[in-house]
Amino acid sequence: MSMLKRRMFLGLAAGATLAGCGYRSVDAIYSQPAGSVPKQYANRTRVVFWSPYGGVNGKAVDKLVAKFNDSQQDVYVEVQFQGSYDDVAQKVAAALVAKQAPDLAVLSDVTWERFFLNDALEPLNGYFTDGFGPGVYQEKLFGEYVVKGQSWAVPFARSTPIMYYNRDAFAKAGLPDRVPRTWSELRSWVPELAKVQSGGRSLRTIAFAKIDGDWQFQGNVWQFGGAYSKGLDVTIDEAGAVAAGEWQRQMVHDLGAAYMASSPSTDFANGLVGVIQESTGAMKTIGSKAKFKVGAGFIPSEVAAGIATGGGGIGMLRNISTERKQAAATFLQFLALPENSAWWTTQTGYLPVVNKAREDAELKKLIAEQPNYGVAIAQLENARQQDAIRLYGRNANVQIYTGLQQIYADNAQPKKVFASVAGRLEAIGEEVKRLYEEKVL
Amino acid sequence: MTVVDLPARTHPDERTIADGNDQRKRRRRREYGLFALLVAPNLLVIAVFAYWPIIYNAFLSLTDWNMIAARPKFVGLANYGRTLTDPAFHKTLWITVVFTGLIVVGSLVIGLALAFLFNLPLKGRGAVRTIAFAPHILSGAAVATIWAFIFDPGYGLMRALIEPFGAEPPDWMNNSDWALPGLVIVYLWKNVGFAALIYLAGLQSLPKELDEAAAIDGASTWTRFRSIKLPLLAPITFFLLITTVIGTFQAFDVIAVMTGGGPGDATTTLSWSIYNEGFQAFNAGRAATLSIIMFVILLVVTTVQARVMERRVHYR
Repeated sequence: MSMLKRRMFLGLAAGATLAGCGYRSVDAIYSQPAGSVPKQYANRTRVVFWSPYGGVNGKAVDKLVAKFNDSQQDVYVEVQFQGSYDDVAQKVAAALVAKQAPDLAVLSDVTWERFFLNDALEPLNGYFTDGFGPGVYQEKLFGEYVVKGQSWAVPFARSTPIMYYNRDAFAKAGLPDRVPRTWSELRSWVPELAKVQSGGRSLRTIAFAKIDGDWQFQGNVWQFGGAYSKGLDVTIDEAGAVAAGEWQRQMVHDLGAAYMASSPSTDFANGLVGVIQESTGAMKTIGSKAKFKVGAGFIPSEVAAGIATGGGGIGMLRNISTERKQAAATFLQFLALPENSAWWTTQTGYLPVVNKAREDAELKKLIAEQPNYGVAIAQLENARQQDAIRLYGRNANVQIYTGLQQIYADNAQPKKVFASVAGRLEAIGEEVKRLYEEKVL
Repeated sequence: MTVVDLPARTHPDERTIADGNDQRKRRRRREYGLFALLVAPNLLVIAVFAYWPIIYNAFLSLTDWNMIAARPKFVGLANYGRTLTDPAFHKTLWITVVFTGLIVVGSLVIGLALAFLFNLPLKGRGAVRTIAFAPHILSGAAVATIWAFIFDPGYGLMRALIEPFGAEPPDWMNNSDWALPGLVIVYLWKNVGFAALIYLAGLQSLPKELDEAAAIDGASTWTRFRSIKLPLLAPITFFLLITTVIGTFQAFDVIAVMTGGGPGDATTTLSWSIYNEGFQAFNAGRAATLSIIMFVILLVVTTVQARVMERRVHYR
């Protein structure tokens, strides 16, 4: 026994010693992740930029960065693709533990807050210039990163969900060539859409996302008159949210018109489903895969209008040298130029986050030719920042979409599911409450 | 592992001359020095990469830390109390036990059957052995991607196979009743070849005399299997049992790619919940707690298995 105690003591002492020296210091300067600088850019200040964009969108990021690198002599930005939004967040956290820090990272609607709350982000007001800062960016999207007058990130690949529809299938079903105005209207179209055959079976009306579907559902809850939370007070178990869940449950299990999909946009592009709610940032990708005419429109309302903004903003890490910070800021200033913001939109479908980008000739021409690209911009007036529990509650999004999976897969009653989700969200809210009240309110 | 020849023990009667004794002592000290020198690199690597993370993990399990905050907050045993009383954790444990049980039993039974088949003097058995073993070498993520395609209700192979018979295939990975069996099938497909190969090696090294003697005495094939071959294969079964239990408990790759622990929590095993707490929720403390619990469970299971087998298994 005494032996055991001694061992335990030694173990704890070892742990405590490590704890004393191993953690992040808010103002320490950390090294940069490794990489390689091409010869022609040697002797410049290197900026490491962690990005979650692959495929079509990744190529657009690469081009923007290449344009920046060739536009001046002092800074070299190196894009490092890190996987999904969640992967970027995990890797930034892991890097900080290892006393390393990228200079810039794209952080999602639900991950930047945790870095901000824990003093890992550099406040940006000090870097603002005439062409970079408030007034330059679209007000709502810029404002989401402003807490108590200080900016903690700037919008980049911001989005809202929009409704995509299969125009060919709609024509075959004899439906009007537009998205439904309300969810009830979509429901009334189920029989017509079911008559259309696709891939050897009748067309399903809508597919719900298996992972991260809670983002689209945030808007759906508002449309049915509810909310995930008021501040951090959880309301997902109340009438509006339950009604939204019940509408979706009926579509899946009572009507057989909807289902849970691993990738709704892939299924949509393959013609398996009539409509989806998907990020405007998927526009280019869907358009390049679909072999039919793709239409797009506002997400339907029900008792109210309202959709959630989402997507990525760029944060600057705090644990980097002043030189790296200044260099990183010049890249952010470059991205804030209207022509760059507009070009990014034309290549991806993401919202133009810079006001003057909407006046850009190329973008205007694209919208005139392909009105789909204008949908999210027009819909922006209905967009708002998400309920606080999803934004600030760690893992709140996973708890909510796990609940949705139970409704989609198991025909679980939304009232029951959301009561249990609410219990978990309350515990999550409790954890973050102190920091939230101290830093946000 | 480094193997070192230690000085052979000498019988006390041989120690007659005091001088020789001193010399031997010196030699022994020198040899221990050499021993320490030779094992040091290995020991250091093990200490840094195996023991240190375990100790550090045990420390983290006593804290509340989101991995970004400057330092962890010490909370004592609160994480353990919270985890052990959480109904979601109980469900996770149950799923893990069912999942592990099915895969262990399945791998051993099917593996043994395949081994007998491969042991028959049939044409082309070399090729078939290779094919059966191949999935074991593939990376889990690749296997998961292949099976995600096979199981896909929209475009999958399974659909092409089942639909001609007029039946609708289940939506394996998006249905709570089918997701876990689906994962078991995938892991079996991946594991069985390994079990078969090990069993085959065992079968081929069995002494023929016993079997022949029993055959001459008129024992049926089944009796010879049950009373002679199976007991002789016990050390192999024991080895496979331990490695499969540990491997399955830690299974993560296929789950991550195919189900993400869902739908709902239908495939949330202990290892997935560690990932979820750690890397999705950034709750390092609770993830560490779950890891320690898994560590203890595996330690107990392995110890019990070893004790039981010590009595039953006969190494030749």
